[in-house]
Amino acid sequence: MAVILEVEELRKYYGQFEALKGISFEVNQGEIFGLIGPNGAGKTTTLRIIATLLTLSAGKVKLLGYDLKENPEKFRENISYLPEEAGAYRNLTGVDYLRFMAKFYDQSPEEWAKFIDRAVNIADLGPRLKDKVGTYSKGMVRKLLLARALMTKPVLAILDEPTSGLDVINSLEVREIIKRYAREGLSVLLSSHNMLEVEFLSDRVALIDQGRILAIGTPHELKEKYQAPNLEVVFRRAVE
Amino acid sequence: MKKFSNLLIKEIRELINKQLIFSFLFTFFLFYLIGQVARTEAKKAEAARRVAILDLDRSAVSRGLLDNLRLIRFQVEELETQDKEEAIAKAQEKNLPFLLIIPTGLGEGVEKLETEEIETYSFLRSFSMSEARYSDVFRVILEAANNYLSNEVLKKKLPEVSPDNLKKPLKSRDFVIVRNQRAEASASAIAGFVYAQSIFVPIILAMILIYSSQMVISAIALEKQNKTLETLLTVPISRSSIVAAKMLAAGIVGLLSALIYLAGFRWYMKGLTGDITAAAGGVTKIIKELGLTMTMGGSIVLVISLFLAILCALALATILGVLAEDYRSAQSLIMPLVFMVMIPYILSIFADLKTLSLPAKILVYAIPFSHPFMTAQNILLHNYRSIVFGIIYMFLVFIVLVFTAARIFSTDRVLTMKLRWRRKAVVL
Repeated sequence: MAVILEVEELRKYYGQFEALKGISFEVNQGEIFGLIGPNGAGKTTTLRIIATLLTLSAGKVKLLGYDLKENPEKFRENISYLPEEAGAYRNLTGVDYLRFMAKFYDQSPEEWAKFIDRAVNIADLGPRLKDKVGTYSKGMVRKLLLARALMTKPVLAILDEPTSGLDVINSLEVREIIKRYAREGLSVLLSSHNMLEVEFLSDRVALIDQGRILAIGTPHELKEKYQAPNLEVVFRRAVE
Repeated sequence: MKKFSNLLIKEIRELINKQLIFSFLFTFFLFYLIGQVARTEAKKAEAARRVAILDLDRSAVSRGLLDNLRLIRFQVEELETQDKEEAIAKAQEKNLPFLLIIPTGLGEGVEKLETEEIETYSFLRSFSMSEARYSDVFRVILEAANNYLSNEVLKKKLPEVSPDNLKKPLKSRDFVIVRNQRAEASASAIAGFVYAQSIFVPIILAMILIYSSQMVISAIALEKQNKTLETLLTVPISRSSIVAAKMLAAGIVGLLSALIYLAGFRWYMKGLTGDITAAAGGVTKIIKELGLTMTMGGSIVLVISLFLAILCALALATILGVLAEDYRSAQSLIMPLVFMVMIPYILSIFADLKTLSLPAKILVYAIPFSHPFMTAQNILLHNYRSIVFGIIYMFLVFIVLVFTAARIFSTDRVLTMKLRWRRKAVVL
């Protein structure tokens, strides 16, 4: 499998505080790569750097061979980012929001139509897509945002806590959608503190704590290495 | 370009919502209504004024006085009684605003060149502005009466001399010189006319600056509050385009709001002062003679100056918007900008900025928004050096501000910079 994302010795400082202490990992094409760790471990900082929201202090990040520092615009063309706490424009309807976002990724109306059709299928909001986003529930907004993130079939989808705020049924649906798109060749980098969710979704997982990666491997490899029944126990043993 | 227009349309759609349209219509209607009421009241005040008279003298002099009042458009209503209290009651009953009591012996006293006292009564039925205008009526009546009585006496004593020439042996011919142009007119009339013609420039400018800035700050604060900024910053469009789209959308909507409010304000002012150009008559001709009309070139310079001030305000508002955590804090962050607009605005109305003390002058000139407030006057007075200095200064300030705004948007600061009021510290 081709490597599409390379992260090498990534460091991030906020003043004197070192949030990331030299982390390295790779994401392959069609792979779901999960970052798991407690709050404040550095998961969101890592995702935000790759999503071009934060600048890196040291290290290298490459997507399809493009360097993040030199070509942030190439990153933006090939990724889509779903932040943990995200919203959509309340005065736009669901469809208008999707159309507004689609226009940044392609110039042709035919492509926009394809993007929107795909998003309509993913969001599964039916006629409510014609209502203003301001009238949506939190779960509906989250599904709309996930549809926005996946509709352009990016090279890499960066999903921060993708099921955050969703009920059990909606969470299951979202996980199925992510799995389905990965099977079609989409690469996903996701983070979650719900380790069971990551275990279900991810092909490979990195355990991250206090800005350091403790271990990387498939959920099966990690469970064997730490002789644990699930990733929660794996993480506890890795930290110990 | 398509990506930019996509973003620009979204920004404008976000800004023009139902509340804004309602607020436009409401304000316009309110200005129009107040203007209409003021105009009606002004017409009422200008109409023939009714005055009740109790003539206790009934001499030729007092009868002549009443005829003179009628000549100067007073509607005289004589009361048929000899009792003061009854006259007051009758005037009140007839809803008359004024009562004038001519005492017995007025004619005789005037003949003997003695000073006589007449009593005046005003019936205050409200405390409105139009009611306050009536207070001038007795001054007019007294002036007219004194003029009439003194003229009558002088005509009798010195029939060969004109009473006017005797009372005013000195008359003035007033000339005004502006630069090297001279014209016969009073300085107050010219200054008043130019002021009335250009009063709208600072009003429009202050409105556009404040509205547009508020929109930019609010737009950025709302992106943060609604958690849409992070997503927007990761789509394939340059950060400078995001900044430019927000600034341009706010500029367009701000200009639109200013034009709508200005149209309403013109109605309001028309109601208060009447149509200035129609009333000015010969003054406009003198204004042309003095070269105080705005040429096409002057108008272009004025527009450039206004445009640069708007750009400075939008760039500064963008930086302030980044500091806002949410929509509520954005409302507080607009205050420094409002002060920076209001200081030169108020000073330009009540003082001559050029004659301020040196520290005050430095402070005012350092505010970029001060320069366009002075530009209109400087164009008319051909103070080109001040105009060029103002334009260059505003351009430099804009470059610094827009560079700072673009820099903030292309670094972590767009997400991490916040002004926290409680802690009173800037967190970078």
